[in-house]
Amino acid sequence: MNLVRSELLKIRTTSTWWWLALGAFLSIALAFAINAWLAVTTLGGDAEEIGVSAEQATAPAQAANLYTSGQYLGLMFVMLIGILMVTNEFFHQTATTTFLTTPRRTSVIVSKLVAASLLGFMFWLATTLIDLAAGAIFLSANDYGTQLGEWPVQRALLFNLLAYAIWTILGVGIGTLITNQLGAVITAAVLYLIGTQVVGLLFLLLSNVLDSQAVLKWQVIWPAVASQVMITEGTSEFTPSWWVGALVLIGYALVSGIAGVLLTRRRDIA
Amino acid sequence: MTDGQRSPTNDGQIVVSGLTKQYKNVRAVNNLSFTVAPGRVTGFLGPNGAGKTTTLRMLLNLVTPTAGTATISGQRYADLATPLRQVGAVLEASSAHKGRTGINHLRVICAAAGLPKQRADEALALVGLTPAAKRKFKGYSLGMKQRLGIAAAMLGDPRVLILDEPANGLDPEGIRWMRGFLKNLAHEGRTVLVSSHLLSEMQLLADDVVIIAAGQLVRQGPVDQVLGSMAQGARVRVRTPQAEVLAAALKAQSATIETDEQGVLLVGGVDAPTIGRSALAAGVELHELTTERPDLERVFLELTAGKAGIR
Ligand SMILES: Nc1ncnc2c1ncn2[C@@H]1O[C@H](COP(=O)(O)OP(=O)(O)OP(=O)(O)O)[C@@H](O)[C@H]1O
Ligand SMILES: [Mg+2]
Repeated sequence: MNLVRSELLKIRTTSTWWWLALGAFLSIALAFAINAWLAVTTLGGDAEEIGVSAEQATAPAQAANLYTSGQYLGLMFVMLIGILMVTNEFFHQTATTTFLTTPRRTSVIVSKLVAASLLGFMFWLATTLIDLAAGAIFLSANDYGTQLGEWPVQRALLFNLLAYAIWTILGVGIGTLITNQLGAVITAAVLYLIGTQVVGLLFLLLSNVLDSQAVLKWQVIWPAVASQVMITEGTSEFTPSWWVGALVLIGYALVSGIAGVLLTRRRDIA
Repeated sequence: MTDGQRSPTNDGQIVVSGLTKQYKNVRAVNNLSFTVAPGRVTGFLGPNGAGKTTTLRMLLNLVTPTAGTATISGQRYADLATPLRQVGAVLEASSAHKGRTGINHLRVICAAAGLPKQRADEALALVGLTPAAKRKFKGYSLGMKQRLGIAAAMLGDPRVLILDEPANGLDPEGIRWMRGFLKNLAHEGRTVLVSSHLLSEMQLLADDVVIIAAGQLVRQGPVDQVLGSMAQGARVRVRTPQAEVLAAALKAQSATIETDEQGVLLVGGVDAPTIGRSALAAGVELHELTTERPDLERVFLELTAGKAGIR
């Protein structure tokens, strides 16, 4: 518990996280504007024209989308915080002090993981409060009601929380794998932003080659896709059930957490 | 203990035994054994690349030894229940986040070690850094950074202190402050192990020395003893306008004589009063008569000759 407190204090006492919070906030604003336009257009009956399926063109589905605005970039920002929690220790050479204070390295990494998920929770909370306020006002103003009683909406909000916690943990794992700060941040951001498209293309190619649409479902092995699948209601030919996405994400978090602990235990701190 | 197990004591003794670290291309530390006693300042000396830092890092569980053990008060560092309350360390690369203030750096450590928050303020005051408490680490001078490191080491009021080149970057005033500070800690009964290659400083500071070269022990013991064990004991420096006459008179008393500059003799094997009497008897005029003790630097260079150098 002391260790978690110390990890949170480490984050509070530097300015990096303010910048990431600011980034997350801006992306909420941007995403909300886009999602609001999307909601108006689809619910106004023009869903076909912009390629939104009928299943997605319902008020609850659009509300869920609106209430989770900013998730796409927000997840990247919490992942970056997770990464920085580890790489900062090496970049600023504070690992020595940290491991002198707590020679049991497993405890250090575990407390980073716990602190990371708490932080993910706080980012989710802030994001969700902003989205709820803005979304409720927007939806009511357009006569759709708040939609907050709808299970798909509640479901999206809750799983979004899981996504935030897991992506921060994933960040910690990546940080222990790539201790070089710049290297880790760039690798992770590129994989997150561009990787998803590349993976999408690869699978499209693969499905053409194998002449099988089912292959597309396997995109879920990519964490960003898994995360998307998890918060989306309903399945289609291309997307597996939400729990597959959840399991994949949890799997990644577990693997990266365990790998982080094992690597850190062996590493010479010089 | 009868079963041969070392029991955890709180004697503050450091025991290094058979410690070895093999890096890919270099055996940084090679079967090194020594002990460090409480209540004394022990200087840990060796040329660049001798393996001092590696040894200290193994002692502190930051680097895994290839072989051997190192214990503090009978326990491995990793097994200490409250490490910061027992051992304080200032290492070369111990640093702080550039964007964090000095006081916050210490508070983070306090939180992790379960120490009360006000220890951070006390430790800062102890090293005279209170005025810079709320400034960011990146704005600290080298000497201030070094002091912050010492403050961090003192947070838990530890029994044992381990410092790697603490004089680095300190000005003469700072070095004198450090000397007094460390001597005082040893005087209070704490164990102080400090690595350095500032030999003149070590001579003023250390009670004991452990000298290593190329990863191996060269000599360990109280400073006086190490100095006394050298082939050359004290020499006497004599300045006289009649050097040849005096040299002849002293040689008759089986003194060893070297000439330094013109008119100066370095006399070994006899003491200053003897030389004075011989000069008087021979009617030789003396301008200077000084006993020169062998200093740590000379002894160090002699002991590590041929083993020094970057590996
Ligand atoms: N991480 C490492 N990987 C490979 N070799 C290393 C590593 N750390 C140290 N060495 C080598 O081990 C030897 C001992 O290094 P160490 O830093 O312990 O010396 P030192 O006595 O502290 O020297 P200095 O007085 O210069 O600080 C050197 O030859 C160094 O090159
Ligand atoms: Mg060194």
